[in-house]
Amino acid sequence: MMPLSLLLIPLAASGLIAIARRRALMELLHAVAAIATLSAGAAIAVEVWSGKVLTAAGDLFRVDALSALMVAIITFLGAIASLYAVGYIRAELDDAHLSRVRLFFTLFHLFIFTMLVAVTTDNLGVMWIAVEGTTLATVFLVNLRQTRTSLEAAYKYLILSSVGIALAFIGTALVYYAGAAKAGDIAVNWSALRAAAGSLNPEVVRLAFVFIVIGYGTKAGLAPMHTWLPDAHSEAPAPISALMSGVLLNVGLYAMMRFKAVADAAVGQEFAARLLLGVGLLSLLVAAVFLVRQRNYKRMLAYSSVEHIGIICLGLGFGGYWGVFGALLHIVNHALSKSLLFVLSGNILLKYHSAEIREVRGLLHAAPWTGGLFLAGTFALIGLPPFAPFISEFIIFRAGLENHAWVAATGVVLLVVVFGGMLASVNRMLYGAPPADLPRGDALRVWLVPLAANFALLLVLGLTLPSPFVAALERVLKVLGV
Amino acid sequence: MSAEVLAKVVNLLSFVALGLTILLIVRTSLEGQVRVFALQSFVLALLSMLIAAYSESLELLGVGVALVVVKGITIPRVLNRAVANIGLQRAAAPYLGTAPALIICGVLTIIAFYVMTPIAASNPLPTADAIPLAFAGVLVGFFIMVNRRRAVTQILGFLMLENGIFLLALLATYGVPFIVEMGVFLDVLVAVLIMEVFVYHIKDNFDSIDVGELGKLKE
Repeated sequence: MMPLSLLLIPLAASGLIAIARRRALMELLHAVAAIATLSAGAAIAVEVWSGKVLTAAGDLFRVDALSALMVAIITFLGAIASLYAVGYIRAELDDAHLSRVRLFFTLFHLFIFTMLVAVTTDNLGVMWIAVEGTTLATVFLVNLRQTRTSLEAAYKYLILSSVGIALAFIGTALVYYAGAAKAGDIAVNWSALRAAAGSLNPEVVRLAFVFIVIGYGTKAGLAPMHTWLPDAHSEAPAPISALMSGVLLNVGLYAMMRFKAVADAAVGQEFAARLLLGVGLLSLLVAAVFLVRQRNYKRMLAYSSVEHIGIICLGLGFGGYWGVFGALLHIVNHALSKSLLFVLSGNILLKYHSAEIREVRGLLHAAPWTGGLFLAGTFALIGLPPFAPFISEFIIFRAGLENHAWVAATGVVLLVVVFGGMLASVNRMLYGAPPADLPRGDALRVWLVPLAANFALLLVLGLTLPSPFVAALERVLKVLGV
Repeated sequence: MSAEVLAKVVNLLSFVALGLTILLIVRTSLEGQVRVFALQSFVLALLSMLIAAYSESLELLGVGVALVVVKGITIPRVLNRAVANIGLQRAAAPYLGTAPALIICGVLTIIAFYVMTPIAASNPLPTADAIPLAFAGVLVGFFIMVNRRRAVTQILGFLMLENGIFLLALLATYGVPFIVEMGVFLDVLVAVLIMEVFVYHIKDNFDSIDVGELGKLKE
């Protein structure tokens, strides 16, 4: 029953907001739904990580440790982004644009709903439908500002993601075909497929996994299928950018991890590992090239997402206990730090009315809270201690040095390039004299308070790895067959 | 119907479907292209109903009916409405002209046979022989999409790609389960409706539906 209530809350909220008339009511429904979704998600995570597997609606939904990790990320960051969204949308859209406000809040919860379905269903096909649903739910959010550039970004996003996901469907159908020959009718379920994985036709599974990496890799933002990502993530309103970069990319990764577990059992680990190392390294390279002289700070954050998804793929490709453990930890750490920075980018945009780095001068002086937090968040993101991404990147590359030394070494070099490029860009924004006519003070200062939770978690995970958390990740490793 | 007869009919209809995909390159009028897509959807629906009769599957029959309703009737109507509203008759404006495009289609078909024949050989179903044809349809649909500049014709390429994937799944496994197939149809329908909205937006903002004009976002 619990998984169903988790799904029904955002769905119901979306429906109610769509028919609400007054803005205050929409905001109230939105906030209540965000908190309720978070509570339901937390309850499920606690339950599953204590060793249970929850099912609902026959075999349609099945929440194991991996699903629970994704549910925790989606609901937690969903709540953080929704609280900030109330303030941000008030600043962006006045009451004259009430229909767009309604559209925003309606689609916000529909977006959360589709992501939750994707990670809780046991059915490969339903997961595919839900992942395509995430694109359909967000495309109007990307175009919320209805400018020429946002229109362009949204159209590209819609077309490229739809094609990518169509290719993923070929992979899904092939896996289903390989499974149906062995496990009968139930082969469309993860649990049955995993059980039968050892006896699947390896040739079919290999071809299927290539399509899966291309298809779901498009959703995850892996190079060379990443071209929609910088546009969509930079044009979307800040709270949505935070969720798209911090959370939605992980849903694509989630699908790849599920299929990888099947592929590993069917054709051995080497095949999937090589593919993931290839796209992971390419993503890092592309991100590094575009991050060195980036002129737009939201695009900078978007390319940094390509980089971090690449790092996670390297971890999965290096494999073994530490490689995959590092990858899972990095999923959490990247989600926490990237959503934080995208929320702050909204604050900078509200202050300077430009996403160009050269237009933003003297941020620390003009908006001390935003600037200070942005600097700290950047430190976390580029992997400086004492923040958690340092730990997970260290674990991943340490694991890589043992079995793929050259890949790991190249990755570290690219990481240093990104480090320098991002720090230089952020440096230009923080210092200097702010424009003379710019009033001093932070935009939406109270609305930044929830970010304290992100910082607290980044510090806790960076300084100590709490043992319940490690135990939870170990359960996920077991699901992945590591 | 015996397995051999079914295999022959399936082969023939799959060939027709691939031919229709390639015909999309040759037709220049937008209305004609929409008709080609609708016709292909009917061919696929006929195929799934034949296989439904052979395998005595009620679900697959339902899929065939839904295919006619969604891709045979509804989506072509939506597209025709869009074509009428933007007042554009000639579609083409591809990056590559007809002749080189046809050569590429030939190459893609050869690749499809090269990749898929060993996989089809391991498949015991009587429909398996046509799998390479379906895969060729997927590749050609993908190529048509990349080769086109205008929003409406890109959507047509996307739909042909979708049809190719449907055929591939149908031949390889007698279709994915009913609930999944219905969800896929719903997704495709919503995607096309959203794309239609975007065609209007692009037309309003850029005074053309040439997506080559969408070039502001760089780096």
